[in-house]
Amino acid sequence: MKREIRIALTGNPNVGKTTLFNALTGSRQHVGNWPGVTVEKKTGKASRNGFEFEVVDLPGTYSLTAYTADEVVARDFILEERPDIVVQVVDATNLERNLYLTTQLAELGVPVVIALNMADMAEAQGNPIDYRKLSAFLEIPVVRTVGTRGEGLKDLLDAAIREAETSLHHEHTIGYGNETETMIASLADALSADGDLAGRYPLRWLAVKLLEGDENVLAKVRGGPASTRVEEILSRIDPDEYEALMADKRYEAIAAVLPQVRKANLKEMRPSDMVDRVVTDRYLGIPIFLALMWGAFELTFTVATPFMTAIDAAFAWLAGFVAGSIEPAWLASLIGDGIIGGVGSVLIFLPNIFILFLILAILEDSGYLARAAFIMDRPLYALGLPGKSFVPMLIGFGCNVPAIMATRSIEGEKDRLLTILVNPFMSCSARLPVYILFAGVFFPDQAGSVVFFLYVLGIVVAIASAKLFRSTILPGEASPFVMEMPPYRIPTAMTALLHMWSRGSMYIRKAGTIILAGVLVVWLLASFPFGVEYGSAESFAGMIGHALEPLVAPLGFDWKVAVALIFGFIAKEIVVGSLGTLYGTGEETLPTALLADPGLSAATALALMVFVLLYTPCVAALGVIRKETGSWKWTGFSVAYGLVVAWLLAFVVGRVAGLFMGGV
Amino acid sequence: MDGVCPLALLAAGTEAKVADVRAGKGMQARLFGMGFCPDARVKVQCADRGSIIVSVGDARYALSKGIAMKIIVGCAKGAA
Repeated sequence: MKREIRIALTGNPNVGKTTLFNALTGSRQHVGNWPGVTVEKKTGKASRNGFEFEVVDLPGTYSLTAYTADEVVARDFILEERPDIVVQVVDATNLERNLYLTTQLAELGVPVVIALNMADMAEAQGNPIDYRKLSAFLEIPVVRTVGTRGEGLKDLLDAAIREAETSLHHEHTIGYGNETETMIASLADALSADGDLAGRYPLRWLAVKLLEGDENVLAKVRGGPASTRVEEILSRIDPDEYEALMADKRYEAIAAVLPQVRKANLKEMRPSDMVDRVVTDRYLGIPIFLALMWGAFELTFTVATPFMTAIDAAFAWLAGFVAGSIEPAWLASLIGDGIIGGVGSVLIFLPNIFILFLILAILEDSGYLARAAFIMDRPLYALGLPGKSFVPMLIGFGCNVPAIMATRSIEGEKDRLLTILVNPFMSCSARLPVYILFAGVFFPDQAGSVVFFLYVLGIVVAIASAKLFRSTILPGEASPFVMEMPPYRIPTAMTALLHMWSRGSMYIRKAGTIILAGVLVVWLLASFPFGVEYGSAESFAGMIGHALEPLVAPLGFDWKVAVALIFGFIAKEIVVGSLGTLYGTGEETLPTALLADPGLSAATALALMVFVLLYTPCVAALGVIRKETGSWKWTGFSVAYGLVVAWLLAFVVGRVAGLFMGGV
Repeated sequence: MDGVCPLALLAAGTEAKVADVRAGKGMQARLFGMGFCPDARVKVQCADRGSIIVSVGDARYALSKGIAMKIIVGCAKGAA
């Protein structure tokens, strides 16, 4: 008896695969109410009745003919890795389209179990599905599940066990009509010459795929023993015609089942549609988006302020205590200047980070994200960027690493590369501490607006760069926009807070690891060689900073800033951490120290914020750019381009601001 | 059905039946998988110069003009 069962979760995008995966395996993979959240396969474990399950969560797909990078992941896993059981997660509120994929899985002959998910929502809409009847019609086990509440998990695993234990699996076929069936038969006959291929896939399925013009299957056949005859047959037909015909037959077969398992009850106009009329309005759409964004950053700033003050006071007290009571002096400096000054100055921004992630969680869970992409499609398309790029761009507000991964759902290699290259200009959460620090110190009354300006500048630079690349190195036209608009959902406090926590806590972990390490290196560099005055020009930090100073002097930055920027390459929070360490806060806090520095004016602060926004992405982002583009050349290009743009814009912004505010 | 036209030309609130889909390889399979297949009933929910939000069955899709021009629908008044 087999005790280990490998399950793959597949299904259309945004049907709740990852929610179900998390519930089954106790994982905390990222979920959201927009299609394309999952772009990689993720593995987890579950057990039931003595069986161990390896559960694999796959990116969503509308059909087994893959089109984008994430769909290829899903298709290849099912075709090549052959999981024991394929669980198709089906959105019960959208049965018809979801069953289209079911027909394809059934043709492939893999053991399928259907998880009829979001069943509660279908029931609430007055559209319950008789899942037993559905199961009888399809000859596939159907289990009612509600992923968000963990309902039906045991039944689902039980059904998977039953299916895995029975060896009886047959391909379910759809009759495509005489003419098509003749073609399928002759193709299948030709394919039988390829014993290797015939051993791995059902002949009929291969034939159907070839008739549809599936490039992937054609590539498998090419060069094999069946190649010549198959190509000869295919050369006589128009695959487009057959593809449409077969799609039609599949939907016909589904349409025959649907009335048996549910009452036809389509609401003509839903609340979601009414909201869409407003938020996607030709004139109102973009102003609404900008207003929401401005409100979000205002909120990030104002709500967080009292918490920041409290944390700040706590660290100031701690620093004072350390300075006054710890011996020897170097240890006091290590703890006070290095750790408290460095890590403390980063941790102060924890409240802002949490609020930012809360807002992003609401953006992702509400369904508005997909609309924002749609509104931006027209202006972006005109500039050569597909509207879909706006989704990874907005995800970039959290972190560019998942954002760059999210480009996998973009059609077209050039479009994807373009979206990857401009993504680092989207201001991630690691840059927020820099803005809040400097905006708070130098623009206390307009801090929220300054931060908003920086985010908008990031978007503008990203879009302008896309336009530039389109007309130079990546010529072509953006692919047109096709995206499912998920129904709006009011995010529950619980899920929103969980999202906020899972991402916000990463910030704390980062502060305790990479940022701590970074600031300790800065502290060491500022303290040595032995005997120099801490943080003076003679220290290593001073030497590095002074060597680089000529490069950044035109921007108004001094050597301390130069050092901070260098270390910010590891993680951008370290810019703040390094400044905290170099200014050696002691009893005064970093904001006070900055304000007291005669070398820093409001205009310089603005230039610095612009520079931090645009310069070289951090190491982690570069790693993922390398991975997703597969090219060091593009990775290097991203670094160089970012530095040049950052320098030029920081220079211009600094000078212009200097004209109005005086003093650069 | 007495005439056909691209989906992009329909006004908000119009219902129609898909007659033909003429997108490129890959995109075609995607559109079929989404439910845009011949004889499918669609309803335009929002329309703005060719960009539309359209419902097919229980799903809502946003399409830019480029794609909406490739989905041909019967555009007679009582088409649906």
